[in-house]
Amino acid sequence: ANTLRLYLTCIRNTLEAAMCLQNFPCQEVERHNKPEVELKTSPELLLNPVLICRNEAEKCLIETSINSLRISLKVKQTDELENILTKKFLRFLSMRAEAFQVLRRKPVQGYDISFLITNYHCEEMQKQKLIDFIVQFMEDIDKEISELKLSVNTRGRLVATEFLKQFI
Amino acid sequence: MSAIAVHQFAQCITCHAWSPDHSMIAFCPNNNEVHIHKLVEDKWERIHVLQKHDQIVSGIDWSIRSNRIVTVSHDRNSYVWNKEGADWMPTLVILRLNRAALCVQWSPRENKFAVGSGAKTVCICYYEQDNNWWVSKLIRKRHDSSVTSVAWHPNNILLATTSTDGKCRVFSTFIKGVDTRGSGTSSAGDTKFGEQIVQLDLSFCWAFGVKWSPSGKTLAYVGHNSMIYFVDEVGPAPSAQTVAFRDLPLRDVLFVSERMVIGVGFDCNPMVFAADERGLWSFLRFLGERKISSSGAKYGSQFSEAFGKLYGQSKHGISNDIGEASRSRGGIHENCINCIVPVKKEGQSTNTRFSTSGLDGKVVTWDLENQGDLSEYL
Repeated sequence: ANTLRLYLTCIRNTLEAAMCLQNFPCQEVERHNKPEVELKTSPELLLNPVLICRNEAEKCLIETSINSLRISLKVKQTDELENILTKKFLRFLSMRAEAFQVLRRKPVQGYDISFLITNYHCEEMQKQKLIDFIVQFMEDIDKEISELKLSVNTRGRLVATEFLKQFI
Repeated sequence: MSAIAVHQFAQCITCHAWSPDHSMIAFCPNNNEVHIHKLVEDKWERIHVLQKHDQIVSGIDWSIRSNRIVTVSHDRNSYVWNKEGADWMPTLVILRLNRAALCVQWSPRENKFAVGSGAKTVCICYYEQDNNWWVSKLIRKRHDSSVTSVAWHPNNILLATTSTDGKCRVFSTFIKGVDTRGSGTSSAGDTKFGEQIVQLDLSFCWAFGVKWSPSGKTLAYVGHNSMIYFVDEVGPAPSAQTVAFRDLPLRDVLFVSERMVIGVGFDCNPMVFAADERGLWSFLRFLGERKISSSGAKYGSQFSEAFGKLYGQSKHGISNDIGEASRSRGGIHENCINCIVPVKKEGQSTNTRFSTSGLDGKVVTWDLENQGDLSEYL
């Protein structure tokens, strides 16, 4: 739990520095405005990505550009069951990315879930609240997965008990 | 408190400019229009809406003597608006740009204006009487990336530009027929159009917000790496000072006097930089009060379901009350300040008033008259 605090504080501080976004029209295509972190066609507009690792299994990649920011998370998965639960749960959230606005529909290669924050999000919403949301999300993910695992195990036990009762 | 007036004009303001007598303000509320508001008996009323652009208006400048407004937009167009009777009539500007225009400024004599663009060029526009339009001359192939900010030297010839390639450059914009050679410094008179006087490669990161001091002796610009650069003796042997500060980067600067600069940016609070008697610049303090934030109550997520809790949490209202307090931010502006404009009083050489506008939609006017510790620098 101690390392979780440090990990989240580190991510929070990095996000406060990285979330300095501004409206920037596309240099490649006229009249267009695209998130430069996704496009990656103009290297001068991208900043160095920062990778924050809690341990081998958990890490967070923060890539920034002049008008957009991408945060990719790899969540801790200790056994096969957690692997499946994480994948299903995060896929469920990603498919409903429109409701979250800052979520990316597909995670970046090598990670479990990704956020894409653009300058428009920073204009409509407060930066501090966005950072709070991301950090809160990371805390809640761990809790949710544990709860799901617990309920799966509990249910499995109940079902097995009921099933085997007929053989007593 | 040095803020003397605060007004919320829109949800988000891209840029703003004042009329010559400061009774009217023109701003872009983050869309393709320019709204002009007038102060009528202590209340701001919207009197005009200039609608000609198709995309967001990225720069507005209002000339003081000729009372003309120039607007540039991401749709590659620019218009010069003249007041005819009760309406503002647009005049076409032939910009010849193939990417968005990012910034604009009238020259000190108001016979030219400069536009920085995403096409990595700078357009210098002057008026052609015969066809009643403004034509442009382009400074091409000098910038490696978008030109984010332009600033005119008081001699009406030299122009400083900053770009997202991290460099600040000074060019000569002498145009035959518009500018006159003769009196003035020899360095400005001998150069031809588009000639690069000096290129400053001080920043590792994008450069914004370049401005000249009132006499034209010093140049200041900011880099996204939380540094501000001051350059003296711009010419063959410039001397530069860099001031690094520990807060978030700045977006724009303003010279209040020869020895004091106000910087505004992502900290939502204007920062004061001053030079001492030896000419060494340093960060003095923040202008506004800094609020120490306290974590608020959790916003109404009453769902017990796992994903329901995430669904119900609104990004607007949630605040982390487990002990991770948000960092304190400037009190008056709630979001990034991206524009700072002087509010010159009639017949005053030093400027103590300026206004800032930002992504929170507020325009705040500040006055430095009552700030005792700053008066020695004015």
